[in-house]
Order: sequence, then C-alpha cells, then structure tokens
Amino acid sequence: MKSFLDFFSSVKVGIFLLIFITIASILGTLIPQHRSPAEYMEKYGDISNVLIRLEFTKLYQSWWFISLLFLFAVNILVCTLTRLSPKLKKAFQPKLETKKQRLLSLKTNTSFKKNQDLKKTKAVVLSILSSKHYTLKEEQNGNTVFLQAQKRRLGLFGSDVVHLGLLIIIIGGIISGLGGFQANLNISEGETIPIPQADFKLRLDKFVTEYHPNGSVRDWKSTLTVLENSTDVLSKTIEVNHPLSYKGFMFYQGYYGWDWTNPTLEIWAKKSKDPSFLKKLEMGVGEKVQVGEESIEIAVLDFVPDFIIGEDNKISTRSLNPNNPAAYIEGWKEGKKVFSSWIFAKFPDFGRMHSNIDTDLSFEFKDLRAAQYSGIQMAKDPGVNFIWIGCTLLMLGLCVAFFWPPREIKVILEETQNKTDVTTAGITTKNREDFQSEFDDIVEAIRRSQ
Amino acid sequence: MNESTFFLIAFILYISAAFLYFAYLFSKNDRLAKSGYTFALSGLIIHSAALIMRTIESGHAPFTNMYESLSFLSWSAIFAYVLIEGKFKIKRAGPYFMLIVIGLMALASSPLMPKEATPLVPALQSYWLWLHVSVTLFGEAFFAIGFITSTMYLVADSKEKKGLNVKSSLTAEKLDSISYRCIAIGFPLFTLGGLVFGMVWAYKAWGRYWSWDPKETWSLITWFVFALYLHTRIVMGWKGRRSALIAILGFLAALFTYFGVNYLLVGLHSYA
Repeated sequence: MKSFLDFFSSVKVGIFLLIFITIASILGTLIPQHRSPAEYMEKYGDISNVLIRLEFTKLYQSWWFISLLFLFAVNILVCTLTRLSPKLKKAFQPKLETKKQRLLSLKTNTSFKKNQDLKKTKAVVLSILSSKHYTLKEEQNGNTVFLQAQKRRLGLFGSDVVHLGLLIIIIGGIISGLGGFQANLNISEGETIPIPQADFKLRLDKFVTEYHPNGSVRDWKSTLTVLENSTDVLSKTIEVNHPLSYKGFMFYQGYYGWDWTNPTLEIWAKKSKDPSFLKKLEMGVGEKVQVGEESIEIAVLDFVPDFIIGEDNKISTRSLNPNNPAAYIEGWKEGKKVFSSWIFAKFPDFGRMHSNIDTDLSFEFKDLRAAQYSGIQMAKDPGVNFIWIGCTLLMLGLCVAFFWPPREIKVILEETQNKTDVTTAGITTKNREDFQSEFDDIVEAIRRSQ
Repeated sequence: MNESTFFLIAFILYISAAFLYFAYLFSKNDRLAKSGYTFALSGLIIHSAALIMRTIESGHAPFTNMYESLSFLSWSAIFAYVLIEGKFKIKRAGPYFMLIVIGLMALASSPLMPKEATPLVPALQSYWLWLHVSVTLFGEAFFAIGFITSTMYLVADSKEKKGLNVKSSLTAEKLDSISYRCIAIGFPLFTLGGLVFGMVWAYKAWGRYWSWDPKETWSLITWFVFALYLHTRIVMGWKGRRSALIAILGFLAALFTYFGVNYLLVGLHSYA
C-alpha cells in the first residue's frame, strides 16, 4: 500500500503518464479510426493486422488507452490528496517565523527601526494589515512579537479544485461511455415511431427546409410531438443547435433525406400514331389508373430506386438512392393482362413492352418525387451533467489558481529601549509586482504612522 | 470604403508598426517604439471596423472561413499585445510579434483564401460560434506572445551564458517570467473557449460533447502540453531553457490545431 501510494503520489509518474497519453492521442489523429480491415490493409499492408490487434484502429476506446487514463486519474487523485493536508495546515495553522535571518533571506523583505514602543507599534501593524484584509495570527515572547498575516488563502486550493473538476469529467466520461447511447431516427411527416429504450413515442407533425437566397440550406425545422400512451404530451419545433429534451433523451435535428422506397411516379403515356396524345399520370406503387378511352388500365406493381439484376437473375436495388429508378408496370384490358415492362427514368428508350396484343401506347418514366423525412439524432447521455459540473470546477479552479494567488506577510517586532525593530517579509506565488507594491505601501504606512 | 479597404489599411498600419519597432530595436530610441505602438493601436481600431463591417455584411460572426478566421486571429493577437505591452514591459518583443501578425494577415489576404462571405451551414448558426471561436483564438494570441518571449529567452540565455554583455533591461530571467505570465492568461482562456465551450456547443449541436474528432483531439493535445509546462514549472521547479522549450512546443501544437488539422486531417471541423 505504501509503495502504491508512493508511486502514484509522484508528480513525475503523472508527467510520464501525461506524455504517454499525449503521444497516444497524436497517434490516434494520424491513424484513421474505425475503418474497415480492408482499408487498413490497403493503407498499411501487413502491419495492419498488428495495428488492429493492438487496437490502434479504435485507439481512444482501446483497453490500453483507457487504462492510461485510469492510471492518470488515480495519479491526480493521490497527488491531490497527499498534498492537501500540508496545504490545509499552511493555510489555517501557519507556523510563525521566529528567525529574522529567515525573513531577510526572502525575496520581498525590509527592516527598519521605529521610534515607538512595542505595544504601539504592534497596534499600528495590526490595524494596517487588517485594513488590507489580512487575517492575522500573533504570538508574544517577552519583548518580541511574531506576526503572521495571510490573505486570499483560497488561492492555495485552486489547483485542487482543477483536479477535482478533471476527476469528475473523467467519471462523467466513463458514465457516458457505459450508459450513453445514440441512434438515428428517420421520420416522415405524419409518422409516429417508438423510441428505442424508452417508453414513449415521437410523431413528426411538420418538416420544413429553409433556404438562403443563394439556394444553400439555412435550416431544417421539425415539429415533434411526444406521445405517452397515445396521448400528446409535448410539442416542440426543433432545429439545428436547438434540440428537444425529454426524460433524459435528447433529439437533435441532424439531417434530412428522401424516402426513395415509396415515391410518387410521373409516367407519360404516348401514342406513336397520334403525336398530339399525351397523358401525364401520377401514380404511387400499387396504384391502378385508366389510360385514354381504350379502357386500358395500367398499374405500377414494383419500384426500385437503384435497379440491378443480381447474379441469381433477381431484380433488386443496389442502394436507397435514386441512382437508377425503375418501375414495373402492367397493362390490363377487360380483365386480361396485355403488357408488362420495366421502365427506367434514366433510360426512356430502354423499356420495350412485352405485349400480346397490339397497342399503340408507350410509357415513359418521366420523374419521381419522394416524401422528405427528417433525420433526428437521438442521444441519451447520463454522464453529461458530471461533465458540466467538472467543467465549472475546472474553470473556477483555474481562475482561483491564476488570478487569486495567496499572499503572506510575516513580521517580527523586537523592542529595545522603547524603540522597535521591525523586520518583515512577504511571500506570494504569482503576480509579484502587484504584491511588491502592496507590500511597499504597507511598510510605508507603518513607518509613517504616529 | 468597404471591408477589404479597411482590412488593407489595417495591414499597412501593422507593417508600419513593425518597421518602427525594428527601428527601435536597432536605434534604442524609445520614441520609435512608442510610435510603433500607436500605429499598431490605430491598425487595431481600423481592423475592428473591418470586422464589424464584415459581421453586418454577412450577418454572422466574422470567423467562419479561413480568411475571416485568420483576420480575427491577427486582430486578437494585436489586441492581446496592445493590452499587455505596457504592463509586462515587452516592447522589445514588439518587432517579432508584429512579424507573426503580418504573416497571418498576409496569409489571410493571399488568393488561396476564399474571401466571399457565404451563408452559414445550419450547424454553425449559434451564438456558441462567437463564444467558442473568439475566446479560443484570444487564448491562442497569448500563447503566441509566450512563444515570442520564450524564443527571445532562449536567445538571451545563450548570450548571457557566453558572457556577452546584454545591455537590455529585458533579461533572460524576466523573459522567462513574462512567458509564464502569458501562458497563465492564455491557458484559462484556451481551456474555457477551446475545450469547455467547444464541448457545450458540440453537445447542443450533435448530442455528443466529445467525439475524438482530430481538431478536438489536437486542442486536447495542446492543453496537455501547457499542463505539462505548468506542472514541470510549478511542482518540479523547471525554469528557463526546458520551460521555454515546452512553451514553444505548446504554441506549435496550437498552431497545428489551428492550421494543420484543417489541411492534413479530416473531421467534423471541416468547415473552417
């Protein structure tokens, strides 16, 4: 236990850990993270296996990086605690300096003789120091008085508050890592979806995209309604940077997209013998429409956004993007199927109809429109409040440590023949010039007072 | 008179300030340093006008692309310098510091940097943009001053060691303590702007306060280097050479966070 404490209370160990963590962090920005093994193979060749096994490819989540952070946290904790009690003693039970030589060896010091007796001089020194907000401690030994004046004692503990803040941030990070989760939700207008890991549902009432005059996107806004047991509880319009928060879950406007799996198709029916004939049809998948007077009905039976014929000769879609939209249509006349065909939006001439009867009709797949969905990023992060508390302590601690340095003035008064020798010295850790001028003011005031 | 004219006038004033400061360095005539300061200050005022015009014109904070961001960084650097020159008595650092600012301004005005104000992508439309970027760059401006004084320390120190008689009142020891004081200002600002405000904004925009994106990671690395500086100095009593070297390393890390990440690494901060 003792050697454990010795090891972790060493600032040197802490500094080495900090250097290791820094080097590891740099490595993590040089090696792309969370890519596929194939990508690493291509980039690094044979050593890619080593990189993957040593978790350099998910470095910040690797067991060894987290262990380094853990050791660092223990080091911070032990270093802070072992130094705390001497500091508390220094702040609240200071030792009085009894040797004049020691005072005169300090950087800020002075000594002079005052034509007053000890009692009067002491009263003057005390009143001047307390008027400058110093807290005083004194002791008398015969014809000598030892004085200790301190102010801004809190400044001694700035670094401890910083360290406490850091530890709370690390704890928050662990809680986030273990208990947090994130998901992307795609909701179309009017749709209600259950929220994973929660007992409520979310409905998208309205989704709008706002544009800048030059056509680039200015903002996305989603009006969301929270439903508990099918009753509306809360409605809020979210936009980028303005999320909805409900029961510890956050919903962010992240992105948007189109639902290409079920679009509205625009199909033009034409007649080769009658160029003036043009019928524009708007149809959804599964819909049936009458064309012209010939009592022909056409139906869209199938749709794929990115047409591909697989190795098994089956038609499927390569992606959910409209790279090669294709629709399968059938024509019916008096209850009999008269033709069927795949038609393509990108290749209007490709679709040739397989028809058993002669029809003059041809169909062109002109355009398609999909409903826009709103991309909502949801997140639950139980560690986040620790992070904010930690950050607040971190900043408070830094301000105290840098801008509220403790000040200490030690005085020894010695009476000889109704005159008093005043020896005084001051100690501070930062902003020596300001302190020096305060010290000079105090000395001047003591000298002048009658 | 539009924004780019004001920018140009400020640039010229900074260049004149640099000349005056260098003249001071060689002639030791204090009045030259004073006029250098006046030129830098007038440049700052004109530059402020340019930034305000830019803000009004574009309707958003003046640091959303590399040109704006460089211009704002130069502005914060001059602002930081003007604030502390008198207090820290570092007018001898003036000429070198002006050179850095001129470099930044030159880079900003180079044709490589697109200058037209474009509308903001939705993720950047937040008052956190102001808080996050301005406080961070202001902190980095102090790191830059610390970098100059640390480098000057190394030079002064090696001169003093060789026994050369340095007539300057700015001794190596003073430079060392000034570097520390600059970092003591820059570090809390950088922590607040770069890390804390960055985390708050990331949480507001994406739902994750930290995602190990290269820019985030590099600001953390910068923070680690300066934490190292402070601990070796305060706890282990390192001063002088080694301290100065860490301060220089820290500034280089900050510089890489600012430039390098955008051009060499890819991540969430890809807009600016």
